Amino acid sequence: MPSAPTLDHPFLQWFGIDEAIIHRVIAEAMSRGADFSELYFQHVRHNSLSMEDGIVSRASTGVDQGVGVRAVMGDQVGYAYSESLELASMLRAATAAATIATGSNALPPQAISLRATPNHYKLGRDWDSVSVTERLPLLRKAEAMVRSMEPAIEKVSIGWGDSDERVLVATSDGTLCADRRPMARLNISLTALKDGKRQSQGSSLSRRIEIGAFSDERLRELCKEAIDRTMILFDAIRPPAGEMSVVLAAGASGILLHEAIGHGLEADFNRKGTSIYSKLLNEKVAPDFVTVVDDGTQENDRGALNVDDEGVATEQTVLIDKGVLRGYLHDRISARHYGVKPTGSGRRESFRHVPMPRMRSTYMLGGPHSYDEIIKSVDKGIVAETFTNGQVQIGAGDYTFYVKSGWLIEGGKITAPIRDVNIIGNGPETLKNVVMAGNDARIDYGQWTCGKNGQGVPVSTGMPSVLVKKLTVGGVNG
Amino acid sequence: MVDELLKQAKLALQLALDAGANDAVAGLSDGYSTSFTYRDGKLEEVKQSASRSLGVSLYVDGRYSNHSTTDLRPAELKRFIQDAVELTKHLERDPFRVIPDAKLFANRAQLDLDQVDRKASELNRDRGLEWLREMDAEAHADTRVISASSHLGYGYTASARVTSNGFSGTRESTGVGYGSSITLDEPGGRRPEAGRHVGHCHRDALPEPVTTAKEALRRAVERLGSTKAPSAKAILVIDPEAGSNVVGRLIGAMSAGAIQQKRSFLANKKGERVASELLTLTDDPLIPARQSSRLFDGEGISARVMPLVENGVLRNYYIDTYYGKKLGWDPTTGGTSNIRFGLGTKNQEQLLADAGSGFYVNSWLGGNCDGTTGDFSLGIRGHKIENGKKTGAIGEMNITGNVLELFSNLIAIGNDPYEYSSYGTPTLVFKDVQFSGQ
Repeated sequence: MPSAPTLDHPFLQWFGIDEAIIHRVIAEAMSRGADFSELYFQHVRHNSLSMEDGIVSRASTGVDQGVGVRAVMGDQVGYAYSESLELASMLRAATAAATIATGSNALPPQAISLRATPNHYKLGRDWDSVSVTERLPLLRKAEAMVRSMEPAIEKVSIGWGDSDERVLVATSDGTLCADRRPMARLNISLTALKDGKRQSQGSSLSRRIEIGAFSDERLRELCKEAIDRTMILFDAIRPPAGEMSVVLAAGASGILLHEAIGHGLEADFNRKGTSIYSKLLNEKVAPDFVTVVDDGTQENDRGALNVDDEGVATEQTVLIDKGVLRGYLHDRISARHYGVKPTGSGRRESFRHVPMPRMRSTYMLGGPHSYDEIIKSVDKGIVAETFTNGQVQIGAGDYTFYVKSGWLIEGGKITAPIRDVNIIGNGPETLKNVVMAGNDARIDYGQWTCGKNGQGVPVSTGMPSVLVKKLTVGGVNG
Repeated sequence: MVDELLKQAKLALQLALDAGANDAVAGLSDGYSTSFTYRDGKLEEVKQSASRSLGVSLYVDGRYSNHSTTDLRPAELKRFIQDAVELTKHLERDPFRVIPDAKLFANRAQLDLDQVDRKASELNRDRGLEWLREMDAEAHADTRVISASSHLGYGYTASARVTSNGFSGTRESTGVGYGSSITLDEPGGRRPEAGRHVGHCHRDALPEPVTTAKEALRRAVERLGSTKAPSAKAILVIDPEAGSNVVGRLIGAMSAGAIQQKRSFLANKKGERVASELLTLTDDPLIPARQSSRLFDGEGISARVMPLVENGVLRNYYIDTYYGKKLGWDPTTGGTSNIRFGLGTKNQEQLLADAGSGFYVNSWLGGNCDGTTGDFSLGIRGHKIENGKKTGAIGEMNITGNVLELFSNLIAIGNDPYEYSSYGTPTLVFKDVQFSGQ
């Protein structure tokens, strides 16, 4: 055991551990010859409230805590976790994780030192200090705003959630880092009744922000957005079926980047050769005005992280630079495989899960064209404006996203609202078919959650208005 | 293990009542599992899980909340429950929020659901690794394979639940599952992928691991040369493994919560025709040796066989205590168990021959459905049907329509229900479906 300096961080006390305990558990995880191991301590406290029919009648709270122990041997992984932070339980998990290796040459653990991390989500107030009586009025206020703005709204359902998460990562190569991660969300779901027909839609806001960020003005915007999105559906039609031009409206259309490009550039898929992008590094894949990044450093962003779930500093990673494919999203294992620095993209849903390369905030920088110019250039097509979900097949490159609402374009003009169509395309082909990009880039603040191998993590996404020459739009045959 | 969980649940219930709750529900769940992933000739991942958590629901002076924790140390737990009761006092009164009626707990079926098979949960590690090696070898039996990953998981879960008005129940079940996912190289840069995964509470109910890998490879090879067909209005044949995605949209709209919140296209349709008369659906919680079977539901309501749709006519909704009270309806059960279909007489081959031409779908890619209107649009993968047979692979296409319209166009049902899911969906054939492609 090295004679290390005394570690000092409030989370050590929070989890009831010290350097000697960390050393013992890491040594056990390495005991069969693993070349790396790590302990991921996590404590999450979350609160949620929901309002239906004018009553905030449902509240939930939860506490989840535990430690995940990982032993790595090359690209092989042993993993186990324990909800109990008693030494004996942690050692049992470490013994199970160690079985991925079969030797006996245990490396001696390194002295551990605490590494400072930046803070991309400074809050004036922690969620721990906010009482339920402060949260309740926000839901009531939002409901009253909706009711006063639009009489056709029949049902208003409002969901609230906030969480306060403490993470401590200790690794066998001697780093210890801590992160306290806040998250808040407000969802508004509406059903409106008009001429005997009903339509439902909503809006959401979710970021690493404090209660003060839910100002009256912000609530009003969110309510208006939910109402506008719902009411437009009454006039919306299904577009014609088949291939056509698609204009992706600024903001939430970033879901296209997430599905069509982002997942395919997660390095684990490329390391295994299962991504359609596996052989395209440094190739020209899109026009010059296309630059796409994945960023963990956006202030208060839903996808921001001070440090990733493997204890690696986050960064802004350039995926496509002026049309050229430049980089993958790496965790420790893939970075070692490719002989590059990890990009701070190793993420996991909780201490029960193995980290993998994941996106954080994926967005495209603004381009040279104006929105009006883009619309004018389209003879027959649609604008995709609001979305619900998307999916991709990494190998074939086929991806989809579901357009909840948008607009029909005929002869360079917007002619009618549209709704409920799935759009399907192929990643590399779509990139080649990007013909214009707007100067109106922005990040969407909605509640996006990315799923991969059964693990969900919060992300965000953004984009300028973009014209893709040809995508397959679900619709009706005339 | 269940006795220990029951004891802990009773302690938690007492803590809640002592802290001032008028009524309370406490549930403990526990489980362990082991999983292995084997890829391209070597073991890639070993994972062991063991989890115990507590959930409590509190009814305090007409107010309600629910809470969960994995920190079960006695002092921490006591404080957690006291805080939770305190928090509940600050919420709003809701007259519809009451503990489920104790009458609904009566007459629980006296039946052994046969959900525990120690051959599944206590699999020998070396035997498991041997299976994975065999699956991995079989999955690579084609020179075009870029990467193949085989997975094996097995475990056990148990839970206990008690309520302050007399309900007490325990459950336990085992599970084992395995499968392979395979990516192939195709000229032109595409890397088509496919897989096959099966799971069950009984080890002997599953096909041999190596057969599963062989089927995964067959499916991946079948994806080679996939094209986008022209847009068309045509016949849709859905494979049993893919059917739950459309049937689930219909069943989702049967929830009392969706109806009360005006978000269901099946509201006011009980007793009415909602599908072609070929469709008969039953919620059957009492089928032995099925993972989704149960003797009581999540509220403790004793499980009953419930007709959902009979010859196309909607017979029942899923009604829990809360939304039942709001709607003035008696509770049935809040959620699905096993979905049983009235079956046809033909197998898939015969149904494809009858269809003549159209599209066969065996997996989906994204898409969604609006529960309020029933309007949907879904990405599809599958094959063309030409001259009564499956031919070339298709992809990058969508189907678009409305759930009620789709099910009114159901023209045939197979005799081949899927065995490894709570939805025992057979082959389904629909006419006049809108496909978008080239």
